[in-house]
Amino acid sequence: MPKNRITLKLLFFLVVTDFLETLTQYCFKKSAIPESSFMITKFNDVFFFLKEVVLSGFLWLGLGSVFITFVIWSTILSKIDLSVAVPICSFSYILVPLVSIFFLGEQMTFLDWTGIAFILTGVIIVSTSTKHKEIVIT
Amino acid sequence: MSVFFILFLIILTSLFDTINQLFLKTSINSLDFNIKSVSQVATFIKQLISLPKVWIGFIFCTLSLCIWLFVLSKADLNYAFSADSMHYIFIALGSKLFLNEKVGTRRWVGTIFIVIGIILITWSNY
Repeated sequence: MPKNRITLKLLFFLVVTDFLETLTQYCFKKSAIPESSFMITKFNDVFFFLKEVVLSGFLWLGLGSVFITFVIWSTILSKIDLSVAVPICSFSYILVPLVSIFFLGEQMTFLDWTGIAFILTGVIIVSTSTKHKEIVIT
Repeated sequence: MSVFFILFLIILTSLFDTINQLFLKTSINSLDFNIKSVSQVATFIKQLISLPKVWIGFIFCTLSLCIWLFVLSKADLNYAFSADSMHYIFIALGSKLFLNEKVGTRRWVGTIFIVIGIILITWSNY
């Protein structure tokens, strides 16, 4: 059975995990910033801070996102090699600059475009490195 | 804090994360579960989280995250992110050595392209 072929469906789910990982980071960061900004000066403040973190919805959203990422990522890994799945996930390095241009109106430099071109070339090379009838012997 | 200590910590997070992925992948390989439908995913995950190896990997993942957060609070972002891109090299090496994946020239070339691309993007952004 040709087990480690990349299909469009798998590629789609790889991009989804990338997005979810970004969402996780965002939620955790949000949950750690309490609405009333204060400094932790006394030992008691730590408990107060943790209470606010636990009560904020962002923490639970983040944990949910971690779990969904784990489920999708494990499913992907049951289909393809680790040395293929991880490089393809470097897509997020392209997504972040692109989002910054289109939604935040940031300027792209020549270096950015060169970097994006390198990553894209790398991703294409890695994903086509499985096509040549690699058979998994179990 | 010296640059070498920060570099050491970044290598450590990359290594721990690679170990986590290797544990997860070996557990998945040992299950040898072929998922054909969405309903099978639940069974697959249930079997997967009953394996102790997955939890060992999870501990490494948490450690890696803690060290990474510490690094981010100390080091320059461009330095931290470009040093972290060697994670891809560790993954390729680990997959070859411990998972017997066939990492050929093509996959190496692609991985190195990605590493160069990440270094270029991180250095131009910060």
